[in-house]
Amino acid sequence: MSERRKHLEFLRKTAREAIWAGDYERALTLYDDGLSLARSWKDRDLEDLFSCNRATTLIEMDRRDFDLSGLKEILLRNPSSYNGALAAYVAANAHEARGEFGRALFYAQAALAKSRELGLEELTGTSLNLLANLELHESRFESARDLFQEAVERLDSQGESLSRQAAVATDNLGYCHIALDRVEVGLPLVARSLSVLDSLGARQAMDYPALDLCFAHVKLARLDEAENWGIRALGLGKEFGREDVVKNAHYLLAETYSEMGREPEASEQYEALASYYPDFPALKHYLHQVSLMDVINLRA
Amino acid sequence: MSSHSSRKISLVGSRIRELRKARRLTQTELSERIGIAQSDLSRMEQGEYKVGLDTLFKILQVFDLKMGEFFGETDRPEEAQARELVRDFCELSGEARREVQDFVRFKRLQQEHSEATPGPAWPEEPKGEKTS
Repeated sequence: MSERRKHLEFLRKTAREAIWAGDYERALTLYDDGLSLARSWKDRDLEDLFSCNRATTLIEMDRRDFDLSGLKEILLRNPSSYNGALAAYVAANAHEARGEFGRALFYAQAALAKSRELGLEELTGTSLNLLANLELHESRFESARDLFQEAVERLDSQGESLSRQAAVATDNLGYCHIALDRVEVGLPLVARSLSVLDSLGARQAMDYPALDLCFAHVKLARLDEAENWGIRALGLGKEFGREDVVKNAHYLLAETYSEMGREPEASEQYEALASYYPDFPALKHYLHQVSLMDVINLRA
Repeated sequence: MSSHSSRKISLVGSRIRELRKARRLTQTELSERIGIAQSDLSRMEQGEYKVGLDTLFKILQVFDLKMGEFFGETDRPEEAQARELVRDFCELSGEARREVQDFVRFKRLQQEHSEATPGPAWPEEPKGEKTS
């Protein structure tokens, strides 16, 4: 590997660490630096690679100011290479973030097919994880569970360096089991995932596992545990600006307090949740009287 | 909690179907209003489809439910009767609606008069006067 490539690989590795730690601004700066260097060296492969990485970071930041059509150009220019498969994967993520699930499915399937064809285990695993998430969004829990299972197997076989991706897929797999009322199977998977992510300092990825643990404990009526995890999920959701996590955490905490008979605290959580829906003033009253625990999909 | 919630999932699915029908909405109409596919609404009514909070709250908002109604409890009979009358009224032609409104006005006048003058429900013709 040339010195230039070594330098850019170091930038990528550092940026990736920053993303996992939730420091998106730093990751973006590093990817921007790498992109500028690749362009100045007129290295098209590296430019494509950094363009994909940069877009992934912006998606994580909930930003849309990147060239989605540029990703598709990369895919068309590199139909049988890592960059092409990666571009398809990032395009799928971009469409998912925009709520364009049909297109997301199309590109996720393309990413999976190309990754499999090229023998790219990590990208195969993450593409499976993405496809499974799209299934989850459509409430197809059994199908999602099978895809997550395969994703975990692929990513687990990649060794220590990829255990964070495996941990994310493991959490998703656990959530599927919990949603399918197999809490005793799902809960240990989620707990294991959280433990791995915590040990790796991947705070940015810990919000959903915390939320899932809260959900599992509410289902088991272990209310003290549910409260602890709910508070943690709420804190992480706020820290990383994840509105869906925050809303779900408010809801689960409210249900927990309600079950505990701690009505003032339940009311506080319901009010916090209802504040996101100012056009629905009666919402708080519904929330006080109707449990949505078995109709809620935390990933929809 | 788990068994309690299991009971609620079928309650919500079946109640959504009942409430949709009571409001004379087709699956297509309701699914368009809440922003999901008709096939997903169908699965939801069967208790197979789980949704995020945003979608669930949209459904509740479209139905504008009373709590008792959500749980399938019966309203006071006159409230249920009034709702049915409003639905029927809305399906009438313009001319038929005017006739109903005239009739309602007539009945109110009749009622007000009977409350003001105890006795027969409707004034009798004056006695001792010749009729033309």
